[in-house]
Amino acid sequence: MTGGDPIPAALDRHYKFLRLEWTQELRMLRLRMNVHPVPCYTFSAMSELRKAFNDIDANPGLVRHYVMTSDVPNVYNFGGDLELFALLVKARDLDSLKLYGRKCIDLIWWVEKAAERSIRTTVLAQGDALGGGLESVLPFQNIVFERSVRAGFPEALFNLFPGMGAWNFTIRRAGFQVANEMILSGSLYSADELLRRGMVDHVVDDGDGERKLENIVRSIDGRHHGQLAALRARTMAAPVTYESLAAIVDHWAETAMGLTDRDLRLMERLARAQVRKLGGAETGAAEEIKRIELETAWGEFQESTQTAAWES
Amino acid sequence: MHFFLELVTQTEQARRDFSTHPAVLDAVANGMPVERYRKLLLELYHVVWHFNPICAAAASRLPDEHRELRYFLYTHMDEEKGHEQWVLQDLEAIGFDPSEAARHTPSVHTLAMLGYNYWAADRRHPNSVFGMLYALEVMASVYGGPFSTALTERLFLQDSRGVSFLSSHATLDAEHMADLRKVLDPLSDDSSRQAIIESTNVNFHHFERLLENT
Repeated sequence: MTGGDPIPAALDRHYKFLRLEWTQELRMLRLRMNVHPVPCYTFSAMSELRKAFNDIDANPGLVRHYVMTSDVPNVYNFGGDLELFALLVKARDLDSLKLYGRKCIDLIWWVEKAAERSIRTTVLAQGDALGGGLESVLPFQNIVFERSVRAGFPEALFNLFPGMGAWNFTIRRAGFQVANEMILSGSLYSADELLRRGMVDHVVDDGDGERKLENIVRSIDGRHHGQLAALRARTMAAPVTYESLAAIVDHWAETAMGLTDRDLRLMERLARAQVRKLGGAETGAAEEIKRIELETAWGEFQESTQTAAWES
Repeated sequence: MHFFLELVTQTEQARRDFSTHPAVLDAVANGMPVERYRKLLLELYHVVWHFNPICAAAASRLPDEHRELRYFLYTHMDEEKGHEQWVLQDLEAIGFDPSEAARHTPSVHTLAMLGYNYWAADRRHPNSVFGMLYALEVMASVYGGPFSTALTERLFLQDSRGVSFLSSHATLDAEHMADLRKVLDPLSDDSSRQAIIESTNVNFHHFERLLENT
């Protein structure tokens, strides 16, 4: 893959959680995200992304293609900072939770409006994208997943919902039925299942993502002007408004304040599972989600059996 | 930005280093053998026993303009008074002599943590004590619950016998966290803020050492 050219001075900064790559020929900026120890959207990581976006905005015309990938093997992004959520909920800190949510949607909004800045956006996921990790790819103009990627919105499992654009962008990409199914079930989906639902644009075999990424960027580069105009028209045809994103994220934060101890424990359990896999364990967050789904189903089954026994 | 959020974000690395430490992950997932738990309780006894004297040292040095923080410490000290007895009860419940605790010489890691907190209250900045409170409450409210559950399962304990200190603090400290945020949010002077951030980092560090060496 391309990307070995010197980073333009206007974009070159020292980042802790981002690695920048530049392809002069395509004027393509690629951000590789690497948040330690859990690849999720922490305040610090979001602050770095904001700086990168501000640098792009300060130099109109410099970047034609913005590409996002992960530097963490097998993980694209685990989404929201679950440990932080649990802490802020326990501290009854609604303002900070809202602030976190607003920072998330500000970044999503930048990607959503990239066409208006004459920038093409492409994302390649080579690892799992959970919750906010999946939400964050949905506004991209081109979404490429490698086949073994699993993704979904597990928030329903701990009595919450994905609040940073999931509803808006899933409805726009795949319709109400798919949004209801994915968001309310909390289930995980394979890359092919997501492709069938229209949530991603391309699924390629593992290891072929880089080649596909380059093909896409090169194929659209020659049709930049017309494609951008079409994409701007697309957002007019199916608009997502900042006001709607903001209202939903505030509602999300208020809902989070009502989480019970059990919900918070499940959230923390998922957060710990995310770390386990990265620490070399065989199972991680995706397997933990499956376990929580099974436990929930078993609990509901037991409850219904008891109720039936009482009624008889 | 309100100070509580600044504290949370500025100490994120220390919190994550603690929460992702293999010893912590293992303890939360699998509990620990009884002998190791005994050693941990002996260390915890000294942490708890010195908690109120450290708070008192800090409260006595807080200037009048921080009277709300001083009042908070008074209330908190009253609530924490006698909790070392819970540690002793837990020791007895798992089959050890509780009088052993007072005779036990704390590890260098416990001494380093206690020593830092006394020194910080006395010489660094009296508000440093809030870094100790925040770090201990994060650890208790986030990890106390699952850790006590894992211990109960592993050691075949009944109800909260043997884990009363951990399980009670998991619940209590969730409430304390909300109170702590309310009292810290308005804090505006930079020296206090920096002292609390520094103290939080130091306390997470020392507690991590304490746990990994138990």
